[in-house]
Amino acid sequence: MTALPTTRPAAWLAPVLAVLAIAGLAGLPFLTLAPNRLVPGSPVGCGLSGAAAGVLAGLAAGLLAWPGRPGRARIALAASLAAWIALLLAAGHGAADLIAGRPPAARAALGAGAWLAGLAVAGLVADSARALLPRRGGLVAALLLIGLAVLTAWAGLLDALSLAVEYRARAAALGAAVLQHLGLAGASLALALAVSGPLALLRLRGGPASRLADGLLNGVQVVPALALFAALVAGLSAVLAWVPALRSVGLAAIGPTPAVIGTAAYLALPLVRGLAAGLAAADPDVLAAARAMGLTPRQVLLRVRLPLGAPVLIGALRVAAVQSIGFATLGGLVGAGGLGAVVFEGMAQFAQDLILLGALPVIGLALAIDAGLALLGGPRTLGDPA
Amino acid sequence: MSRARLGALAPLLLSLGLAVLSLPEVAGFLVRALGLHAGTPVPAGRLAWLARQHLVLALTGFALASGAGLALGILATRAAGAPVRAALDTLATAAQAAPPVVIVALALPVLGFGAPPILLALAAYGLMPAMRGTVGALATVPDDVRRAATALGLTPAQILLRVELPLAAGPILEALRVVLVLAVATAAIGALAGAQTLGTPIVVGLQNQNTLALVQGAAAAAALAFLADAAWLAAAAGIGRWLRP
Repeated sequence: MTALPTTRPAAWLAPVLAVLAIAGLAGLPFLTLAPNRLVPGSPVGCGLSGAAAGVLAGLAAGLLAWPGRPGRARIALAASLAAWIALLLAAGHGAADLIAGRPPAARAALGAGAWLAGLAVAGLVADSARALLPRRGGLVAALLLIGLAVLTAWAGLLDALSLAVEYRARAAALGAAVLQHLGLAGASLALALAVSGPLALLRLRGGPASRLADGLLNGVQVVPALALFAALVAGLSAVLAWVPALRSVGLAAIGPTPAVIGTAAYLALPLVRGLAAGLAAADPDVLAAARAMGLTPRQVLLRVRLPLGAPVLIGALRVAAVQSIGFATLGGLVGAGGLGAVVFEGMAQFAQDLILLGALPVIGLALAIDAGLALLGGPRTLGDPA
Repeated sequence: MSRARLGALAPLLLSLGLAVLSLPEVAGFLVRALGLHAGTPVPAGRLAWLARQHLVLALTGFALASGAGLALGILATRAAGAPVRAALDTLATAAQAAPPVVIVALALPVLGFGAPPILLALAAYGLMPAMRGTVGALATVPDDVRRAATALGLTPAQILLRVELPLAAGPILEALRVVLVLAVATAAIGALAGAQTLGTPIVVGLQNQNTLALVQGAAAAAALAFLADAAWLAAAAGIGRWLRP
């Protein structure tokens, strides 16, 4: 990647984002009003504060497109954050106005325009934060955006939105689902790590056994996730029919068991590759020196190979952890619960808000884990081996 | 050459074995032999029809993902595209953080039942491997070669088409193989949004406790994914022989 020029913020990105935000606010439904939570609603435009958000987004983009002094980036950040607050207030107030005086089943949901404008304004905030802090700008922007949204919701300003109504009806179940999801992902990651460690050492040594393991793990990647989960359900019920004693250990054909085994099977390949690459990262001279100093193979592994390969190891762990969150979603299909169960219930009811309640935490968890592990390891950029 | 042929042989044999397993008689025998409740079988003709639908969906998704990924990867490696790389990287990370099943779920209320949600998910999911593979492959072209081509008077477009892409063809084809296999494997998820794929018998089997349909769908879906893998490997070996006679 050294052949490529270093990156700098694209000058045209901010205007494009501002145009997207304004087009979304002007041309697409900002909110939709429906008589109940299941039928699609009729579109409603954005009010005065929505228009204010558009103006602020345009102002921020103008300041970013012609950066003169650093002060301009600061004003751009303030303007784009103000646009974000204006959007939140427009959504909250607009929804409250819409459902005022209507039956309690009426729902005011965010429309396509609100989502598009929200994404574009979030991009503007990230862009202006990066202009100020090139290294950690994205993270700071994410924390500011989430913080402001949580603050507005906590103040009760978003209570009338259908998403908030749906959340209030399911807060306890959703909290349990998030914990269950993290449990599924964590258990899968632990199982995959337990299997991958020895396999990575085997791969380091080479030989036919390592090639066989490699072929098997590669084969698993080809199998559709849905098919593997289904095969595990069938296979486990067959095993349990033959050896009923396994039930007393807590194994079951439906539930967390197939979900954890299936997810771990997919995580194994990136983990084995990453672990082996990390353990092989140490310079041969350094290894020779370590051996010459009289270190045992075990000490070489623990004191030389592991510390020197740490960035690669953390990178592999990061990829696997993000994937574990995604694969655990399919656990909802085999009765393992988690956020997948919420998503699939929403799909079965065709209830958009319920789908969002399940899907947004999945994306949020994946991004949070990615960002958290990125703080530990080095930056992962385009073109790195996946 | 023989290694390349062997590479395609293993997935081909696996695919054939799984395809045989997906037949109603074979799967029924296996399920009953394992002492499980069988349920209604999926007729072989219906399975073949589902496989065709599945393949059409997967190939469309593959074309969307690989086309966009190639274009963005080439754009990111041009001097003029350098400023976009950070934005593309963020886009690719975001596309990876949302698993296909979540994209299908989110798209369902907007795009409705049927093929569109899974096509969107396939395009988004395949984008990052295609783009990363292209960027990585183009980075393997030595700078000296580019400079030599410039010195010979080639235009940037000629350098891309006649020098960079042929030299990077191997790794790019390898990345596209991953994207194709991902697309064929992931298309099964489309069944959750009502698309007719080999995932349909799996979802129906899970909902109705029909182990037979579940086993048939799982075997057939896996067979198709291995078949795609084998076909690509064989085709890539053929192209390699054709390029270097």
